[in-house]
Amino acid sequence: MGWKEYFLAAVIVNIFQMTIAFVIFSFQGVLPLNPQGFPGLSWDLAFMQVISFATNTNLQHYNGEGNCVQLPNCSNLTGVPGAPGLSYLSQMMAVQFLQFTSAATGISVAIAMIRGFIAHAKDLGNFYVDFTRSLTRILLPLCFVASLVFVGLGVPQTLTGYERIVSTVEGATQTILVGPVASLVSIMQLGTNGGGYYGANSAYPFQNPNPASDIFQIFLMLLIPTSLCFVFGQLIGKKRESRPILWGAYALFALDLLIAFIPSFPVVGPGMEVRFGGFFSVFWTVVTTTVTTGSVNASLSGVNPLVILSAFNGMLIQATPGGEGVGLMYMVMFIVLTVFIVGLMSGRTPEYLGLKITARDVKLVMIAFLVHPVIVLIPTVLAYSTGAASAIGVGTNSIGFTKILYEFTSAAANNGSDFLGASANTPFFNVSTAIVMFLGRFAPIALLLALGGSMINRKRLITDVGVRTDSFLFSIVIVGSILVLVLLTFFPFLALGPIREFFQGHANGF
Amino acid sequence: MMKIKRKLLQNCGPAIRLAAISLILCGLVFPLVITGFAQLIFPSQANGSLVQFHGKAVGSSLIAQNFSLPIFFHPRNDSASGVDPDITVQDAYSQIPRISAATNISVDTLQQIVNKNEEGTFWIFGTPYVNVLKLNLALIQTGDLAYNGFPASSGL
Amino acid sequence: MQTDSRDRIMATRFSRMLSVRRPALVSRRVFIDSLVRLNPLRLVANPVMLIVEITFFIVAAMAIYPEGFPSVASLALQSFYVEVALILLITVWFSTLSDALAESQAKNTANSLRRLEMEVSSKKIFMEEGSKRIVPTPSRELRKDDLILLEKSDTVPIDAQVIEGIAMVDESLLTGESTAVRKAPGDDVIGGSQVLSDTLTVKVTVNPDETFINQMIRMVESSKRPKTPNEQAVTIVLIGLTAIFTILIGALLGVSLVLSLAADLSVLIALYVCLLPTTIGALLPSIGLSGISRLYKEKIVAKSGRAVETAGDTDVILLDKTGTITVGNRQAVEFVPFPGFNEKDVGEAAFLSSWHDDTPEGRSLIRLAYENGFVPKEMNSLDASEVYEFSASTRTSGVKLAGGTGFMLPKSGGTGRERGRLRRKFEPHVEGGVPIGSDEIEIIKGAPDAVKKIVKSVPADYDKIVQNISAAGDTAMALSRNREAIGIVRLRDVLKPDIKEKIMAVKVMGIRPVMITGDQPLTAKSIATEVGIDEYQPEAKPEDKYHIVKREQSETRIVAMIGDGTNDAPALAMADVGLAMNSGTQAAKEAANMVDLESNPAKIIEVVMLGKQLLMTRGAVTTFSIANDVAKYFAIMPVLFASTVPELKALNVLGLGLNTAVLSALIFNAIIIPLLIPLAMRGVTFKPSGTMTLFLKNTVIYGVGGVIVPFVGIKLIDMGISLL
Repeated sequence: MGWKEYFLAAVIVNIFQMTIAFVIFSFQGVLPLNPQGFPGLSWDLAFMQVISFATNTNLQHYNGEGNCVQLPNCSNLTGVPGAPGLSYLSQMMAVQFLQFTSAATGISVAIAMIRGFIAHAKDLGNFYVDFTRSLTRILLPLCFVASLVFVGLGVPQTLTGYERIVSTVEGATQTILVGPVASLVSIMQLGTNGGGYYGANSAYPFQNPNPASDIFQIFLMLLIPTSLCFVFGQLIGKKRESRPILWGAYALFALDLLIAFIPSFPVVGPGMEVRFGGFFSVFWTVVTTTVTTGSVNASLSGVNPLVILSAFNGMLIQATPGGEGVGLMYMVMFIVLTVFIVGLMSGRTPEYLGLKITARDVKLVMIAFLVHPVIVLIPTVLAYSTGAASAIGVGTNSIGFTKILYEFTSAAANNGSDFLGASANTPFFNVSTAIVMFLGRFAPIALLLALGGSMINRKRLITDVGVRTDSFLFSIVIVGSILVLVLLTFFPFLALGPIREFFQGHANGF
Repeated sequence: MMKIKRKLLQNCGPAIRLAAISLILCGLVFPLVITGFAQLIFPSQANGSLVQFHGKAVGSSLIAQNFSLPIFFHPRNDSASGVDPDITVQDAYSQIPRISAATNISVDTLQQIVNKNEEGTFWIFGTPYVNVLKLNLALIQTGDLAYNGFPASSGL
Repeated sequence: MQTDSRDRIMATRFSRMLSVRRPALVSRRVFIDSLVRLNPLRLVANPVMLIVEITFFIVAAMAIYPEGFPSVASLALQSFYVEVALILLITVWFSTLSDALAESQAKNTANSLRRLEMEVSSKKIFMEEGSKRIVPTPSRELRKDDLILLEKSDTVPIDAQVIEGIAMVDESLLTGESTAVRKAPGDDVIGGSQVLSDTLTVKVTVNPDETFINQMIRMVESSKRPKTPNEQAVTIVLIGLTAIFTILIGALLGVSLVLSLAADLSVLIALYVCLLPTTIGALLPSIGLSGISRLYKEKIVAKSGRAVETAGDTDVILLDKTGTITVGNRQAVEFVPFPGFNEKDVGEAAFLSSWHDDTPEGRSLIRLAYENGFVPKEMNSLDASEVYEFSASTRTSGVKLAGGTGFMLPKSGGTGRERGRLRRKFEPHVEGGVPIGSDEIEIIKGAPDAVKKIVKSVPADYDKIVQNISAAGDTAMALSRNREAIGIVRLRDVLKPDIKEKIMAVKVMGIRPVMITGDQPLTAKSIATEVGIDEYQPEAKPEDKYHIVKREQSETRIVAMIGDGTNDAPALAMADVGLAMNSGTQAAKEAANMVDLESNPAKIIEVVMLGKQLLMTRGAVTTFSIANDVAKYFAIMPVLFASTVPELKALNVLGLGLNTAVLSALIFNAIIIPLLIPLAMRGVTFKPSGTMTLFLKNTVIYGVGGVIVPFVGIKLIDMGISLL
């Protein structure tokens, strides 16, 4: 397939899958596997959620387990109109289903783009084949093992409905919110999706029972994005070319960790789970944005502004190593842009992998780079100017601004963690984030597939004379260039959000 | 444009088939298979790690439950999930004087109970913690008079 | 032959015109031009600068009527607005100044070229019903195939060919030779020369626009110069960055309004302009243009800017040994006789065979023979000899002397100086000469294997001697007298003075030099080794160049080569960078993408360096421009929301004054443009080194330096302003 056909196939398959999920969300009340008897989701929430899951974002404006009246016992579930909670069928055939397919789509498009760079490639491959293989050879087998490990560690996997404890130790009643959790947790982490079974995501003990499950989830998040860095070099037949992608990504990751851990060694604070402590809460927050998974194991409101700044970094760069497949695509985008601007200084017209970079390549890459500021900054301003922010009680101070900026940054980066959660279940936020997520996903994919597609049949020059992109020094250059490019674009807004907050000295001000 | 339209139509068939197959495979077969294996191999964990006391389920070891009486250790109420089953050892120590005053158990014994139930977090990263439910069940098992009638029967 | 002479004349003409002394850097004309260019309509081609000018108008409006900008401007800051507006205008002016400078430099070149095409009135001939009518016509209006009448003291208006008449024409203006040249039907006359006597009817051979000069003028006039692919790509980056910063500033204005942060519009605009890639936006046109100008200074005409950029990518250079590596002629250094003959025999034979040979090689034979006193007694018959011109098929030349009458100084042949020398050394004592026998003498010299074929018997160590000479890197030339091999002349190549350094530089830059030579393998190897070339093509035929180009290109390398003959045309056309010698044939020049007016093949190396320099300069200024932005955030962000977000004053790492920080950043942003004009004009200086070394060096200088320099610069300017 050429890039257009490949992209078309991906979009059509995704649209059909989204349609199925939309129907299931909307009609879960009358569909089977709904022991709690949850009614269907409102149209705007269902629309936003299918886009959210299909774009690998997993921003959630609902609580999957339902809405407990009183924690921790949750003796009753209240009905929130339009966002009641998800039936087992919705969790399985809408959420989990789209988590598998969006991950498979991400892997497929990345591989397709790489194919463009392979010498003698005739086309970008076949989406249907790539998609099916990603599912059956990578995601399903790994998830099978991972799911059983999670069950062993304490994550529930049952379809019999919530357990009712008739009498707790003190004699009260308690609802134990069990369900097919383990199978979902495995793909949500492995697929860098991040959408949890529960509203509290991986802070909820059933989703993440102990430090061992915590570390295993971190491992799963990093597994495929990191592996794809190696796949790149292997596929193009020059293993060393994986270096700038891998080293660059991990250097930036390390930098994010550094920023996050500046404010003294973290201790258990409010909003954190005791079993993870401060360290794993902060570490997770960095990892989850570094691969744009978006799952959380602590409340974002509980962490230092610098941790939030570090999370912003991960989401704005999106290539450290970034989300399933797309992270790799973004890194290639940054490399092409860097090779073009900085590489000119070697006295040769810029080339990458022996391919001369043309004006059209630069155009594609620049537009792909431009997508992000547009879909983050414009809706942020709109959220305030339309009064949508104040309607859900978000103020105009730095805390409020950080929350709104984070919401759209997370949506645009297809990350999915957020401050607002179910409170953002309003038509404005549902529709605006849906648009942002869709553009943040498919616009760069289309542009970077076009970049890959345009490399096919291009004259390949010997690669050992130009700028050596496989050198250690180039990795340093790529890190510097990414930091300058991304920070230049977003610095003033970060300054008004987390940086300002940091200087105000409100370590736990969110 | 015509070409795109034609391609669109050509792709519809395979796209619908792929969507349907992936739905069945990932959304149905996979979770059902996992459920089957889970129930077979890890039935306790798979059903919510319920804690049995005298043959009755009194809660889940992973989910906090409400303790408000002074004779019990109390869970946190500010945590991210709202159902954090654990408290730090420091937190437990700070509750010992209250429990000791409400019961006849000495501070020393209580400290021993806390220490016995202590769980460590991974390596040096984190603070040691204790599971509140397990701790409270251990208190009941001391046989102290204050715990007569606990776990309470339904409708207390 | 005619085309050749014309081109040689053109070359001289160009060379002279190009070396005209340039006027002072900023003349009145440039100054006025730079002001005229401030017209927004003229800035459309440079979007970055157009935007800066638009922001100037906005801030100017704020200065005049702050009330018109509620909630983003205040009356108290009116004088500040005036200052900001002024700096913004100066920023744009610096950019137009740079454009004006580069274009004036290029125009000087163009004008000096134009002067060659003086506007003269010509006498155009109309044929009407068999009768001629003469109409005075300006030379601009002449077209190809028009007939013109040229009379005594007329200036030839345009390149043309003589149809009728014979006349003497003065070409001294063009060639520098003061002798009048006789022109007959079939000969070319060149625009600008003058008819001294008689009358000619000539036919115009080119349209005014098609002349070489016009093509060159088009290249240096920036408005007509198409952007090169690389320039286009850089422009896209600039537009992309501009779009990003426009969105950023727009959103920041929005955020300031919705969060009531009370940012002042002028400060926001200052941040905007500081972030915009103004430096590269201002200098990009000049960089390309001065690249072409520098090429003209080298007296090379490029047919497109693209060729210059491609030159920077060169992986392989094909170097013709003769003219590039060696001075183009070999010097005789030794006479080696075969058994039965002595050195004198060989020397005299060499002398005789070379007397009519004008090549530097031939002259060196005479010199060596003369220095050794081997002046033959048969000299008198040299005047009446039959000369065998060198032919490519036999690869020999020679002379056949009729029966001579003894020693007598020849009256022709050789050079005047040589004849004078001989006269001083050998006073002719016998008038009319002494008979020395009437045998014919035939002397043939040439390539050893060619001579071998014509001699009656080959001496036993013929091949051995030839081989020894070749092995030493010298060239053997065999001599035969009356079809008898008498000896060998050892000819030695003379290397160009700085060729070894140049080859070294080429190799250091990762470019592979390949030497092309007609020499035998041993000779070729010896010279290649001496100058440090690893690859060479000995016994090369003209088509070999084509094959080498094709082979290297199939291995995806970029090939640069030089050529002059028609045989070279296919290779020149195929090579990525083809530099034709102006002395070469028209076909070669048409196939190449550059022509060297001085016909110096070694310049191919300069062309490659120039291409690299051009790309480097463009990349350096772009990187520098983007890297500069970091410091500007730290200067302006603390001030932007000073009243509402005082915490951001912590970003004021430079400790700038709150009232002066914005102006300092803006002034730095403006002043960096003129400071970098010299860099843009002359290009980044660099030592030849590997791609990665250059890349890293420049990245450190212009990337890391680009981050640091503005911190220092803005701080210094701020201190300066505070002092005022």
